[in-house]
Amino acid sequence: MKDQNTDVLYGLYDDEQDLLKAVKEAKDQHLEIMDVFTPFPVHGLDPLLGLAESRLHIAGFVYGAIGCLFGFGFMTWVFTRDWPIIFGGKPYFSAPAFIPVTFELTVLFASVGMVVTFYTICGLWPGVKNPTLDDRITDDKFCIAFNASGAEDSEVDKLKGFFSGTGASEVNMKTI
Amino acid sequence: MSAVVSPIREPLIEGGKTYHQITEDICSPTERTPSTAWVLAFIVSASFLALYVFSVAWTVWHGIGTWDLNRTIGWSWDITNFVWWVGIGHAGTLISAILLLFRQKWRTGVNRAAEAMTIFAVICAGQFPLIHMGRLWLGFFIFPYPNTRGPLWVNFNSPLLWDVFAISTYFTVSLLFWYTGLVPDFATVRDRATGLRRRIYNGLSFGWTGSAKHWQRWESLSLVLAGLATPLVLSVHTIVSFDFATSVIPGWHTTIFPPYFVAGAIFSGFAMVQTLMIITRKVLNLQQYITLQHIESMNKVILLTGTMVGVAYLTELFIAWYSGYIYEQFAFYNRVLGPYWWSYFGMMTCNVISPQIFWVKKFRRSIFITFFMSIFINIGMWFERFVIITSTLARDYLPSSWSYHYPTWVEVCLFLGTLGLFFTLYLIFVRVAPVIAVAEVKSILKSAGDQYIGENAKEHAHADSH
Amino acid sequence: MNQFTFESKQKTILLAFMGLGALCLALSFFMDAQPAHARFWSNFLHNTVFFTGIAFVSLFVMTAFITAYAGWYVLFKRVWEAYAAFLIPGLVMLGVVILGLWTGWHHLYHWADPAEVAKDPILEHKSSFLNKNWYTLGTLIIVGAWIFFQRRLRSLSLAEDKLDSTGDFSLHRKMKVVAAAFLPIGAFTSAAMIWQWVMSVDAHWYSTLFAWYSTASWFVACLALTILTVVWLKSKGYLEQVSSEHLHDLGKYLFAFSIFWTYLWFSQFMLIWYANVGEETVYFNTRRHEFPVMFYGNLFINFLVPFFILMRNDTKRKYGTMVFTSLIVFFGHWWDYFLMIKPGVLETASHLGHGEDHGEAAGHGAEHLSEAASHGADHAGDVAHAAATHASDFVSGFTLPGLLEIGTMLGFLAFFLFFTLRQLEKASLLPKNDPYLEESKHHHVM
Repeated sequence: MKDQNTDVLYGLYDDEQDLLKAVKEAKDQHLEIMDVFTPFPVHGLDPLLGLAESRLHIAGFVYGAIGCLFGFGFMTWVFTRDWPIIFGGKPYFSAPAFIPVTFELTVLFASVGMVVTFYTICGLWPGVKNPTLDDRITDDKFCIAFNASGAEDSEVDKLKGFFSGTGASEVNMKTI
Repeated sequence: MSAVVSPIREPLIEGGKTYHQITEDICSPTERTPSTAWVLAFIVSASFLALYVFSVAWTVWHGIGTWDLNRTIGWSWDITNFVWWVGIGHAGTLISAILLLFRQKWRTGVNRAAEAMTIFAVICAGQFPLIHMGRLWLGFFIFPYPNTRGPLWVNFNSPLLWDVFAISTYFTVSLLFWYTGLVPDFATVRDRATGLRRRIYNGLSFGWTGSAKHWQRWESLSLVLAGLATPLVLSVHTIVSFDFATSVIPGWHTTIFPPYFVAGAIFSGFAMVQTLMIITRKVLNLQQYITLQHIESMNKVILLTGTMVGVAYLTELFIAWYSGYIYEQFAFYNRVLGPYWWSYFGMMTCNVISPQIFWVKKFRRSIFITFFMSIFINIGMWFERFVIITSTLARDYLPSSWSYHYPTWVEVCLFLGTLGLFFTLYLIFVRVAPVIAVAEVKSILKSAGDQYIGENAKEHAHADSH
Repeated sequence: MNQFTFESKQKTILLAFMGLGALCLALSFFMDAQPAHARFWSNFLHNTVFFTGIAFVSLFVMTAFITAYAGWYVLFKRVWEAYAAFLIPGLVMLGVVILGLWTGWHHLYHWADPAEVAKDPILEHKSSFLNKNWYTLGTLIIVGAWIFFQRRLRSLSLAEDKLDSTGDFSLHRKMKVVAAAFLPIGAFTSAAMIWQWVMSVDAHWYSTLFAWYSTASWFVACLALTILTVVWLKSKGYLEQVSSEHLHDLGKYLFAFSIFWTYLWFSQFMLIWYANVGEETVYFNTRRHEFPVMFYGNLFINFLVPFFILMRNDTKRKYGTMVFTSLIVFFGHWWDYFLMIKPGVLETASHLGHGEDHGEAAGHGAEHLSEAASHGADHAGDVAHAAATHASDFVSGFTLPGLLEIGTMLGFLAFFLFFTLRQLEKASLLPKNDPYLEESKHHHVM
């Protein structure tokens, strides 16, 4: 994933409330958090980290609209232009009968498109080896990570001071 | 700041669990060697699967003449089984999608297994239209593609083609939804493992890290997928009902079919979830995550949908009389009192009358009764489809061609075989994946754990201080 | 402020609108071009059924929410309690319809005319359900039962306010029993009433889905009106704790059930269109060809408008947008009921106008139907009449809602609101001992 190694200083917290307080504290101290890792989605974390709202649903709308127009347009083309056939005494262009397939294609396009987009922008895919800082992050630890590459000892000490001040249960350095 | 929870709510996670204990309890079954019970169950299921393969081979080799269908009764067990399985495949997405939108927290205990069940049930359902084609190898004819025969397109006006789109879309979306939920949990399993197992689960978890931005997108994705899956789940059984209701056959052509099929599907789906969860929670020792509260909630859904189905049955009967249309009236007379009266009787007893015992709280919270009822309802819902399909076809417009259908051994084995397919897949699933959504249960711990809410909350706090 | 006061200025305004409604009703009574004051009576029936239905649905929603452990709605549940109390005036107005039925003041229902029934085998067959006795008894008993449940629930809810401690859930448990009992009763009986009140206006026609469809229409109208009332109360300084979070959820309901309504509309329409059975297609043929604006407009305002406006999260949290959408949708479902009732009434009225040839028309019923089936675009039921009355002609008060219809609707709405506000005045807006109150106060959608 990365060409050069990064030194990461990270602290682990035992409770999501401690984590939220720590993130707030880091913001007050103007420390630049590299990333936060949690075992489950913690509510209230996104605004503290200043994460912009995800625009995934907009992508979903676009994919769905494409699926909808494609489905309806395609059936219309087939039955009015390419190969018009009368089925059951209905007109060539029998819109009500096109609705079910149009609906299914809308949902199919939107869902598949969104899922593919999600994994692509997150860089998640089978075979990807993302470095894990600590195995317990997916279990019960809440982790704040700082980028400490090339940091001076005083900066590292300041970060360590931050961790102990906010109640981190463990502080470690790892090169990933 | 923990979430405000009404004091009247009952806890959904018992035993004063910590986050780590949740991980331990739910992930460890995938790490142990299989128990004897599992091995025995697997052998039985796999034997039925073998029976299924054999009956399919027999059908394909000799043709569907081996089913003894005739000119009058052209659809019988095959389509009954198809609709039955599709119906069962509705509860999973309902639990994960609709209950997510309605913020019913109890869904977290059962959604994973229910979604898995959905996917397996849809796989079973899809078998029947395919086998029914007879020439399986020409199955690709159902897809619209520019071919060398014209180009002729498929008939987009046919409900049977809508089914192709509905079932395949439903399968795809359910699979994506389920898998996206599984990814963080696979990462949890990965981080507990070493060696090859760790590599495999890393692949399965797509290299999930738990980064805040990923969680944010993951939640957004889950929510929109839930929003899409909700109308989708309605549309699937609606389209299945269109297979019948767009025709002009009395007893099939009735406008209430779409919502009534959906209610019936949810009804049977929840019954199957109960059957599976009651066994799973016992065998994997998950009673503290799938509590009596969960079972009671599901029984309430069963009672609700059972009553809706009942309203629909009576509406159909009434409107058949009201229509003043003699063929319609005869179709319903035939259902209730015709040669297949026993299946109508079975349907009414199992689906409408017997679920009414769930008005009593004691019965809703009884494991034994719930299990018994869940089997009963599944039988009843099979009868319902049989009533609609076979008993209607058996008496068509021309009395000289009236008929009666006895299933052959091939048909019976096909049905039993799909049960084998279903349970084999489910048994594999409980071995390789956490059967409860670990991350989601953790996220409701503080608003639904019994040390935080409910009557015992104080006692536990007290016990903790010792 | 937890105690609502119904100011005299508000009373005056609502009374003025009620006066306008009464005036419009009177005008439509005297200026009616149709026989037997069909315009007046159909307006009366339309609004009575619409607003009584909203009262019924609000009771139904409350019982469903109580049963499903919902907590978020508690802050504004008094609004629904107040709506549900409108069942009593609803029953009184239905009593007027019933009275008219017995005295022959109106000819809303084709089946109510013995001379017609005698000539028409289909109506004769149905006469054991479609008759004055059933209509009267059914309405009295069933709406009476709804009122019983409404009063029981309301008194338990008010008694809960008077409890000393918040930890006492015994009354809430009692409410749960009442609520659970009402759900199946409400589900069964509302269907029966809709068949009688609305579906039997087109006495020959039938559809099994119809009852569920029109209940869904009521439901969406009730949600839209709830949003309007809640926002209005907030603008007056009441319901301070109801926030955009609650509005967001109401918006989701409005969005979801607008789609659900569309789903039922489509299911009913598509199945009838697809099978093309003459007995059934007559209903939609009449509406598509003689009421095209109403027919297509119905879908536009009840599906496309809420769908595209409410799709985004942020629009569901804005008071202005929500009020705008709710106004449209509320009107839209009133429009939907207009379309359910008016064409059938017009048809029945045309029988009166041409008393001599309807016997022939009924006799030829089967023939016409098969004709309609062969070329679905034709007016199936009464080809002869369609020709006689020049179906494509504009009929005031029927082809489109005229000013009198709008005025009548405003009058009924004012009556409904007047009654609602009187009810709100009787109790605190804050159900202070409801076990879910704290949850509702801390409700967060996102």
